[in-house]
Amino acid sequence: MAAAESSPPPPVTSTAMRNAFGTVLSALILLLIGVLAFSIRLFSVIKYESVIHEFDPYFNYRVTQFLSKNGIYEFWNWFDDRTWYPLGRVIGGTVYPGLTLTAGTIWWVLNAINIPLSVETICVFTAPVFSVFASWATYLLTKEVKGSGAGLAAAALLAMVPSYISRSVAGSYDNEAVAIFALIFTFYLYIKTLNTGSLFYATLNAIAYFYMVCSWGGYTFIINLIPMHVLLCIVTGRYSPRLYIAYAPLVVLGTLLAALVPVVGFNAVLTSEHFASFLVFIIIHVVALVYYIKGILTPKMFKVAVTLVVSIGLVVCLIVVAVLVALVASSPTGGWSGRSLSLLDPTYASKYIPIIASVSEHQPPTWPSYFMDINVLAFLVPAGIIACFSPLSDASSFVVLYIVMSVYFSGVMVRLMLVLAPAACIMSGIALSQAFDVFTGSIKYQLSSKSKDDAENNTSTNNSSKDDASSGKADKGEEVAKERSSKKGKKKEREPSEKPSVKSKILKKKAQVLPLEASIVALLLLIMLGSFYVIHCVWAAAEAYSAPSIVLTSQSHDGLHVFDDFRESYAWLSHNTDVDDKVASWWDYGYQTTAMANRTVIVDNNTWNNTHIATVGTAMSSPEKAAWEIFNSLDVKYVLVVFGGVIGYPSDDINKFLWMVRIGGGVFPHIKEADYLRDGQYRIDSEATPTMLNCLMYKLCYYRFVETDGKGYDRVRRTEIGKKHFKLTHFEEVFTSHHWMVRIYKLKPQKNRIRGKAKKLKLKTSSGSSSKSAKRNPWM
Amino acid sequence: MADHKNLPHHFLLSLSLLSILAVSQPDRTKDLVSLRSSSESGVIRLKNDTVSKFITSVPTPRPYSLIIFFNSIDLNSKTLQELRAEFGFASSSFLANNNNRSDVANKLFFCEIDSSDSEAFHLFAVQSLPAMCLVDPLMENPQDQEVKIDEYDFDGTAESVAEFVERRTNFTVGPINRPPLLSKPQISVIAALLVISTPFLIRKVLKGETFLHDTRVWLYGAVLVYFFSVSGIMHNIIKSVPMFFRDEEDSNKLVFFYEGPGYQLWGEGLSVGFLYNLVGLLLAYVTSALVRVRNVNEQRVVMMLAMAISLLAVKKVVYLDNWKTGYQIQTYWPSSWH
Repeated sequence: MAAAESSPPPPVTSTAMRNAFGTVLSALILLLIGVLAFSIRLFSVIKYESVIHEFDPYFNYRVTQFLSKNGIYEFWNWFDDRTWYPLGRVIGGTVYPGLTLTAGTIWWVLNAINIPLSVETICVFTAPVFSVFASWATYLLTKEVKGSGAGLAAAALLAMVPSYISRSVAGSYDNEAVAIFALIFTFYLYIKTLNTGSLFYATLNAIAYFYMVCSWGGYTFIINLIPMHVLLCIVTGRYSPRLYIAYAPLVVLGTLLAALVPVVGFNAVLTSEHFASFLVFIIIHVVALVYYIKGILTPKMFKVAVTLVVSIGLVVCLIVVAVLVALVASSPTGGWSGRSLSLLDPTYASKYIPIIASVSEHQPPTWPSYFMDINVLAFLVPAGIIACFSPLSDASSFVVLYIVMSVYFSGVMVRLMLVLAPAACIMSGIALSQAFDVFTGSIKYQLSSKSKDDAENNTSTNNSSKDDASSGKADKGEEVAKERSSKKGKKKEREPSEKPSVKSKILKKKAQVLPLEASIVALLLLIMLGSFYVIHCVWAAAEAYSAPSIVLTSQSHDGLHVFDDFRESYAWLSHNTDVDDKVASWWDYGYQTTAMANRTVIVDNNTWNNTHIATVGTAMSSPEKAAWEIFNSLDVKYVLVVFGGVIGYPSDDINKFLWMVRIGGGVFPHIKEADYLRDGQYRIDSEATPTMLNCLMYKLCYYRFVETDGKGYDRVRRTEIGKKHFKLTHFEEVFTSHHWMVRIYKLKPQKNRIRGKAKKLKLKTSSGSSSKSAKRNPWM
Repeated sequence: MADHKNLPHHFLLSLSLLSILAVSQPDRTKDLVSLRSSSESGVIRLKNDTVSKFITSVPTPRPYSLIIFFNSIDLNSKTLQELRAEFGFASSSFLANNNNRSDVANKLFFCEIDSSDSEAFHLFAVQSLPAMCLVDPLMENPQDQEVKIDEYDFDGTAESVAEFVERRTNFTVGPINRPPLLSKPQISVIAALLVISTPFLIRKVLKGETFLHDTRVWLYGAVLVYFFSVSGIMHNIIKSVPMFFRDEEDSNKLVFFYEGPGYQLWGEGLSVGFLYNLVGLLLAYVTSALVRVRNVNEQRVVMMLAMAISLLAVKKVVYLDNWKTGYQIQTYWPSSWH
């Protein structure tokens, strides 16, 4: 990357040639970066298959399917009755539509030009494609800050940063896949506007912001970061008309556009997350007025005027602040959502919102998380920060602010590491580019001076003066070029970072060189560091982040095992049940059931109704009869449980069971966590409490389990289960998948009332050997 | 005296007792009210003598309930005093919310007993602090575990005290009023100072004379924030982790590094954060400061030193990471290379 820049200052005539060569080379490198970014995300397809991952992506996939089938207006008004039965959910008004619309558009365009790809294929590959765009956007952004060398380095780093890979492997069809591109691109357009002062870019910026709002709730990061930067510029005396053009249209247009997104709506002006931008909007107008008056008045008059203007401006500001404070105070939690509050006061969530604190991706990270997610970039960022301060420009101050804010937020919530990753790449790109620049420059200068020394041994003093002269000439040439471009008006500051780099190179020619051999060693070390980064990223992409979690594999001594039980069971549901049957399961499997089995579920991963989830939790924690009554009242026909005891799949329902108890007990107090714990310990062996051994979840998971190995040994809990032989009275087993991972039960129909038929609990009479025949339903 | 389970009998007895004690009891209530009005936040400090006066020597049913917080000033425990303050908020809120209803306000009194009054303290058989108990009108035996507040009920906030009172008695405490962080005159003084100083500040800002105009301040700030975040200090604060562990087998040995990726100690976070920053700062020093040095030998020595330190730092972090997380990074060389 530095190679294009490190040739000696050429005569003016060859500059154009050199620039053209540089452009072509950059384009080629960018293309390769794109290929890299795309292909490193294909491990999941190669190792598994082209399949959509995890939970949320299945919902997005289902929405995209609906969109491509029914069109945008139907999608906008979609009321989904397949979920949250009997409540249903308004999909059109409660999703961020950016991702769905993007994939839908791609599908529509491809079909229009007769490339018949399925919706699923489009969904699987949306994330890798957008990560290509994201690395190009990173190039553009970093180029605006520190020149194209840094841009290329940053783009290459971003193409394979593990943190971003974790959310954008093929099949990971989630909002972040497109949102990170939108985030970087919005920042790029902001910086571009700031550097050029062009209203064209300002408008584009607002549109990019709109796309970000469509895509992800994380857009609040933008609408707080940019005002902070504007405020910073004003406070440090960097106000300029360009700043005004970069900011004012963004707030006006951006807020109007954001309010168009149904899920945001009036929140764009009503919630505190957006108030900072309005406050800064007012401040920048006051400041602009002050600068304007300063321009048209004599210094003496200005002093008089400044008192007047400042006092009027202050009054206006105070009134607005008062209104804002009143608005904030009038809303509960001060208008801030719990998640935002826990960012500002990190201890807030752990004190007041257990449901946020309990989610693993909301935990604060430890130092290995940084090493896992940004790897060696963690070492390079400080160098990048310092490089941004020499010299500090509007653009570089923005990226410094970006890294500071994002690194702080990532320290609070591990999930926000995703926002940190682009900033870390930009900073490291800048650091690497500067280091390469210095080291290769030193090597080149000393090699060339050495050869010159060999050629004209005696005239070394002349040489340096000649060098000075030639560099002076080049400087003059630059000056002329600068003047010419400045006549063109606003474009004069298009690429301000190019000039300092050329200038500094000339200065370096004179004095700033490092010893030859040390520079070579340093270069080698940097390349080693980069190689380690590449190896780590490839490893992370291949091993850590590519598992679709819908298909599982395990490598054992006798080869590879594939566990495809989930899809097997969802297929069973879709083929063997009535289309209107209701299936109850814990909320984790709601999205998958609706998307893959096309059956109505009671709760799903969009956990908007706590009471409903608590109802299901209560049913799972209740004894069979009570559970049957709850499920029956919800029209449930089938109950689905996920059980890993046979193959040792740890994230099964028995391990999640305490959460069901807690959430159920939070709404229905007769469920008490203590009843399920023996001396504070959660156990399912013979020491387990009777409540635990008789609850529905235990029974549905361990029904006939003893038949697998004769002992009932649970390979996840590593213990023999407490109650091995029992019969089900109100449920009947209808399906158990190949590896017993998914078990589906049907609610037995209500029994006729027959007098004298006693309650039957003949557990002790039936022994393990004859349990197969004992499976007969006594109710029918 | 009276058998609790025998209600009619009990009722008759209490009626007769009421008539006998009709003269003395209002005085006790009056005493309590006067004690309450003289105390801060309405929490009555019960001493050895007053405990017997208001509790043990009063025949049941007493015309009032007492909720007692067991305190120990000598213990000098910060958490205990925080709990005591919350208890005070509950008390003052109860008083404020039932201000004009003496029939309610004079039936429930918030009290505390300090461990220096050991007789009274032992009367309730308090084994551990924090402890609270409710003395309802019918309570006979202070040692009865029934009167104690369960740990489940009390999570340390005034709200939980109020909830407990509302559940066990007929009284409602109502919303808890905590004093604001700053009192009203303080706020107005601060606001006035702000308003007055704003024009001067703005003038300074316009002239560009504040410390904010010094880019070095921003530089140090940015690197500092980065250091704090990558060393996981937020994690340490939120989870309030210790600086180090003592080894379970050998108490003289200190454990600074915790094995397992989900948790870290202060010591390890800071040291790895330092290593993260060290490499970057050295690189920045070499590329932006060392290049200006004229002496070639000096450059050479410093660079070699910097590179050696960086190499060691990176190796150390990689080693620690592999040890802590248990991951082993594969390189995916072609299989023929092995």
